[in-house]
Parts: sequence; structure tokens; C-alpha cells
Amino acid sequence: MADVCFRNGLWAVVVAMATCVGCGSGRVIGPAPDLVAAAKLREVVGAASEAAGGAQEAASTGSGWGSLKGRFVFGGTPGERQVLVVDKDMEVCGKAGMKLFDQSLRVDASSKGLADVVVFVRKSTRVKNPVPAEPLRFDQKSCEFLSPVFAARVGQPVDVRNSDPIGHNTNISGSSFNQLIPAGEGTVYLPTGETGMPISVTCNIHPWMKAYAVFRKDGYAAVSATDGSFEIADLPAGEPLEFQVWHARAASGLKLDRPELKWSAKGRFQTTIEADESKDLGTLEVPASALGG
Amino acid sequence: MKTPLRPLVLAAVASLLAVGCGPTPPAAFRLNMVEAVAPSAEKDSVAAELALSIDQQRQVATILAALFGSPDEPFCQPEMGLDPAKLRLAAGPVRSDIVGRKNGLYREHCVHCHGITGDGLGPTAAFLNPYPRDYRPGIFKFKSTERSDKPTHADLVKILHNGVPGSSMPSFALLSPAEVDALAEYVKYLSIRGETELALMRTFFELDDDAQGKLAETREFLIDEIVAPIAEKWTAASEAVIEVPEMPADEDLAASIEKGRALFHGNKANCVKCHGVTALGDGQANDYDDWNKDIVKIRDKLAKLAAGEADAAERRWAAGFQEVLVSEALRPRTIPPRNLRHGIYRGGRRPLDLYYRIHAGINGAPMPAAKGTVASEDIWHIVNYIRSLPYDFDGELGADRAVAVRPGPAVGLAATQED
Repeated sequence: MADVCFRNGLWAVVVAMATCVGCGSGRVIGPAPDLVAAAKLREVVGAASEAAGGAQEAASTGSGWGSLKGRFVFGGTPGERQVLVVDKDMEVCGKAGMKLFDQSLRVDASSKGLADVVVFVRKSTRVKNPVPAEPLRFDQKSCEFLSPVFAARVGQPVDVRNSDPIGHNTNISGSSFNQLIPAGEGTVYLPTGETGMPISVTCNIHPWMKAYAVFRKDGYAAVSATDGSFEIADLPAGEPLEFQVWHARAASGLKLDRPELKWSAKGRFQTTIEADESKDLGTLEVPASALGG
Repeated sequence: MKTPLRPLVLAAVASLLAVGCGPTPPAAFRLNMVEAVAPSAEKDSVAAELALSIDQQRQVATILAALFGSPDEPFCQPEMGLDPAKLRLAAGPVRSDIVGRKNGLYREHCVHCHGITGDGLGPTAAFLNPYPRDYRPGIFKFKSTERSDKPTHADLVKILHNGVPGSSMPSFALLSPAEVDALAEYVKYLSIRGETELALMRTFFELDDDAQGKLAETREFLIDEIVAPIAEKWTAASEAVIEVPEMPADEDLAASIEKGRALFHGNKANCVKCHGVTALGDGQANDYDDWNKDIVKIRDKLAKLAAGEADAAERRWAAGFQEVLVSEALRPRTIPPRNLRHGIYRGGRRPLDLYYRIHAGINGAPMPAAKGTVASEDIWHIVNYIRSLPYDFDGELGADRAVAVRPGPAVGLAATQED
């Protein structure tokens, strides 16, 4: 009797297991490759290059230089800035009841200027100025990065400083740069590659610290100031330029309704600057909805 | 007593066996679905409009098949700097070749943890702590090169030979040197393939509007722009080995340990912040490594989306993403800083290994590099202090005191017994 019961139980277990294990993995599988197309593509890729000499590069069609400027304003009422959770090194980071605030939306109270908007040229044909040898200072004080968003040129030294009496580390994502920055000291980071959209800069010791960096080979990048204004100088004139616009709250591209600039869903606009022209886009109003409400 | 259930159960089992599961399809690489749904280096800024369409996903799969072949028939371009003969030895099903040499080593030894694609998602992965390495981002922790550089071939061979102490990665010292060599080459192949996949997926957003959402299928784009820069990092690794100055020989060991202790606790090296005052690894304990952090960021982003007013397209994307996360990502885990009292070091316990870890930090982990801001002789002092830690326990953990100078044997033990 007991034996029969046991055996029945065993069968049930076997069936249950078979059902559970099933035949497939149940994983989300992407589309399979097109093997015929892959075989053809392998031949194309394997063939020696005929069009040598950077056929992909856009050709320069203009001459002279011009500049572009404008001012971003926030078209809404920014909410109360979020107080960050600060729970380490309180003698410095929370000194005398000091509070640290979320830096991802900085709006100037009087002018409504929107800071920290990044504007950069997607592809350029000519560059006027050599890479600056003078280091760009990137400092941290009171457990905050002093430049929440910054742009540097590839090859331009970034002087990563620490003006706090405590140690920090600076971790630039995607670059494998993550170094200790002892109290009152600094080190130099040399950006070696171009970033597409800005990348994040963090401190692992103080996880609330966050900044963004953009590195461009041509240096045609600007970050809007506290009053929302930006300017990019010495742009190649006489040829169409496409600009990418980014904000931390619109990280897949800041979209504006400006059809005359062909402003796209990817946050890009196009314009041509004439030689010696100082083109002013005027006031660019960013609706609250474009920055996540 | 007869149970009426039994024939029914027997019939069920019999029918299952008869129907079976069909012929096993050939092994196939899996697409990086997390990246396909959120192709961005910054995972907290992913959005519905970045997600790849099915056609774009298929294009990536096809390009990868052209460039890298399949798990049974790996292929490599000359620019990848890989040895096809070694890849053949490691790839494919487990079998013997004409001279009786074993082939299919990756599937025999590695696949159950690291997965057929090298995504660290083999069937056993979820049960291991730490999780097996996902090779696809091209980030490796334990190496002799600078933080941003790839490991050398010798570094990979060393990991295979020694295993990773304190993790589930065993030693493969019983394999022949040629077999270990082939496996190291195959890891590089999977890593270059994975990085190529990431680069391709992240390029869609960068396309000009006139490309109509399709990548250029030319040699200039695929090899010169995408594959070559990734592969060059691997070939350059052997030139990027950290130059380590001799350990200061005239230094008294006790004095060196004492200097190391001061550095460990001081504001310069700041080891104490994460490894803790007691060096038990109990300082900063709520951080994630890069692999897990990406999943945490995505999870947070989806939660934010669910809480806000998402439109229909965003909600659809988020729902699809949840499904992908359930099947294609392991539950994120925090990364505890190493407990330095155990004397178990994942990347090796030679003084040289510890020097590398402190000098360059650990790529992919929060551990920062001391290079540049901490002098090399100071790094050696920290190494000496760390090496003294496992032998220092005397029941007074956390007491802020010198560790090297002991008046006599068994003093620590006597002290605890008196207490």
C-alpha cells in the first residue's frame, strides 16, 4: 500500500518536473539573422577597400568662420528642488545644516534662464583653432561637482580637482577613468575619444554626486550658462551644420517646436552660418513637458 | 487498493516521451535584448524612442552573423587579430577531431555559467554569487594593464589557470596549455563580438535622417569604424602592462606596514571609506558594479515611468522591457568591497597582483585607481599593510592601533582570554 502510494507520488513528481522544465527556454529571443544576406555581406566586408581615403567624411563646401548663440528659457514653473540624501562625511557634506539639492534642473529665478543645456555640432568639416593646451578645471567642493555639466575638447587636459578636506573619487562612465582624488589634490584626465550624448561623472564614495561631460573632437560644443545663454564661436561658415541639443532631463535629445530650424524628434536642428556672421537664435523656450513635466 | 490515477499518469508520461521536444536546433548566439530595447551608454536616460525596431534588430543579427559566424562555425576578420585555429578548437559541440583531439572546449567547460553568447547568462548563472562575467561590454577586472586597457592574453590565461578565488570560477589547470590558450582566445572572440554588437546598436541613434534607420553595410563602416577600434584595444594590451617599480627593499617591513595603515585610514588613499575601519569590507556597501548598475538604472527608470504619465507608446515599451528584464537580466546585486581580513583576493594574492589592483583600480567595479595621486612606494606600503591584515585578528577588531609591532608571541590570544 505504502509502496503504491509512494510510486504514484513519484510519477506525479516526474510529470510535474517534465512540465516545469518544458521544451523551450522561455527567454525573449530577438530576430534570427538573415543567413543569405549575412553570407553576401561577408563577401562585401572581406573585399579590399576600393574607396580609400575617408569617403564618409563630409566635404568642406564653404570658407570663413561664424558663430552661433541663443538663450534657453524654461517655459514653466520649476518645482521645489529635491533635497539629496546625504549620509556620509557629514562634517563636510552636511556642515552646519547645509543641504545639497538635485542639480538636474537649474532655472534662474529672475530671468527663467535654463542652465546646463548642451549644444554641439554633429559633424564638422573644418576646425579653426588647435586643441587648447590649457587644462579645463573640473572641481568638487562641499560634496558637489562645481560644474554639473561641462564640455571639453578631445585631447584637452581636464584638471580634476578636489577642494574638499575629504577624499573623493571621480568616475567618468564609459571611459574607464575612475580615480581617487585625495583631499586638496587633483589629477589630469585626457579625453581620448568623442562622446555621442553627454556621459555621467559620479563619485562612488558619495553616490549623490553627479555631473555630465561631453567631449568633442572639434570642440564645437557649448553648455548654457546660468542665464540660459550659450555661444559657439569659430564655426565653419557657408555650409549646412547640424546641431544636437541635450539636457539631463531630455537625455535622448531636447525637442523644441521650431520648424524653421528643422528641429527633429532626436533633438537636432540645422542651420547655415555665413562668414563673419554672428547668428542669434534668440530666445529658445523649453516647455516643461520637454523636460519630463 | 488500486488507484485510478496511475494509468492516467502513465499515459501522460508516455505521450510526453513520444512527442518529445523535436530536434535540437543548432546553437545560436542570442541578441543583446536589453541593449536592443535601451541602446544607450547611459542607462538612466533610456527612452522608448531609442528602442530598436524589429528590422533594426534583424540587421544587427545579420551583420554579426556575417562578421563573427555562429557558435558552431565561428568566423573572424583579419582585423580582429584572432587565431581561427584556436577558435575552432574552443567552439562547436564537444567532439573529437580526426587526431583524437578534443574540440568544443567552451561548451564543455564554460557555457553552463557564461552562456553560449558569453553574456554570463548560462543556466547556472542565477545560482552563483558573484554572477559569472558577461564578456559583451569588454570589461575585465583582473589584469596587469591600466584600468581602461584590455587584459593581456597572459592575464586571461592566468585567470583560467588559477580560477578566481572566492568566486565560482574554478581552476582549469588540468587542461593542456594549448586548450587554455584556445579558451582565452575564444573569450576574446566573444568579447569583441559583444562589443561590436553594443557599438552597432548604439549607432542607430547617431544616424543621419537620410540613412532611414539603417546601418551602412560597407567595409568602411563595419570594419574601419566599428570593429577595428575595438580589436585594436585588444592587440594593444600587451604594450599596456603597468610598470611596477621594485618594492622598496631597504624599508623595514614593520615600518612599511605602519605607513600603509596610515594611508589606508587617511584622506589620501581613503581605502577606509569602502573597506571599512576594520577592513572587513563593511564601509560603502550599497554600490553596484557596472553590469548590475545598468539593470538597476533601467529598473528605476521603468518605475519612474510607471509612476508618471506615460503615453501609450511609452507604456508599451515599458511592458516589453519588463519582459526582457525578467528573461535577460539577473536580479541586481550590490557589490560588497573585499573583506581584507580573509586573505582571499579574486585577482590573485601575489604582492604584484595587489599592486595592480590598487594602482589601476578594478574596471567595472567602484574601486578607483590610486595611480597619479598616490605615489608608487605608497602603493607598496598599502600592499604590505593589506597583506598583514589577515594575520592581525586578535579579538579587538576596529581598535585603531599599530599592527606590525608585537612584543611577543600569542599576546593577542592572551589578551582576549583575560577579557
